[in-house]
Amino acid sequence: MDGITGAELIRAAALLGAGLAMGFGAIGPGIGEGFAAGKACEAIGRNPDEAGLLTRTMLVGQAVSESTGIYALVVALLLIFVVKG
Amino acid sequence: MEDLTRIATYSFELFGMRLTVNTETVFNTWLIMVALFALSLIATRRLQKLPNPAQRLAELYVGFMDKLTRETLETTSRGYVPLVATMFVFLLLCNWLGIIPGLSEPTKDLNTPLSLGIMGFFLTHTAAIREKGIVAYLKDYCQPFFIMAPLNVVGELAKVVSISFRLFGNILGGAIIIAVVSHMVYSLVLPPFLYVFFGLFVGTIQAFVFTMLTITYISVAIK
Repeated sequence: MDGITGAELIRAAALLGAGLAMGFGAIGPGIGEGFAAGKACEAIGRNPDEAGLLTRTMLVGQAVSESTGIYALVVALLLIFVVKG
Repeated sequence: MEDLTRIATYSFELFGMRLTVNTETVFNTWLIMVALFALSLIATRRLQKLPNPAQRLAELYVGFMDKLTRETLETTSRGYVPLVATMFVFLLLCNWLGIIPGLSEPTKDLNTPLSLGIMGFFLTHTAAIREKGIVAYLKDYCQPFFIMAPLNVVGELAKVVSISFRLFGNILGGAIIIAVVSHMVYSLVLPPFLYVFFGLFVGTIQAFVFTMLTITYISVAIK
């Protein structure tokens, strides 16, 4: 029986960690961006004249709240492509 | 799949230092610079009272950026408009370049967003010192009280990291998803839609967000 070597174990752990990082990391930005979009819809419904300004502000706010998700993506990419075991 | 994160490089010795040039990124960046130069030449050739379509488009764009920048900075000076307008159109073409087969986005390489982010960092702090004076600028770090100064410094440095990693992560993530899906469906049917979504839509939004955040950082710093 060959058994599992240490390098394979490290590789498996890195791939598993990448999946976990991306999966949990996507929860926060998903909720946050949805919340921002919902509030922006409400505001546009109440005040349609300011739709351009509201959309612009919403997009910038969403992109900022997205950054934690992007950090998770960068960590996942590092785990996949840099950790060779 | 292995070539996803590999970047073409060329390294050489100079004065005892090892220098590495990312040839693909540099080539694509120069390509965009040439394209921008040609576009602006076309737009400003034979300026008239009754503009031709190219001139009209350029006027619309410059007018929009002018209004946006001065509204966000709450000033009447036009000092930052050229930089902001150039940054947006450069990033826009960078993010759109990936939809041309054989070329890749320069923003997919962390060096491009990071250098633009560091440029924005120095610009912000120079503007703050020039606007408020060195004493008031340094005093701002001691808000709300003196012990918080290290945290404020870290916060300023984190802005550079977050703004550049956001652009880099979005573009690289889009490129990887396109590569993975193309690999799965043998480049049939789906990839064009993904190129439109990740290349055109996300690329436009991220270029706008990068520009907008740079203006916002400046406007927060000079107030």
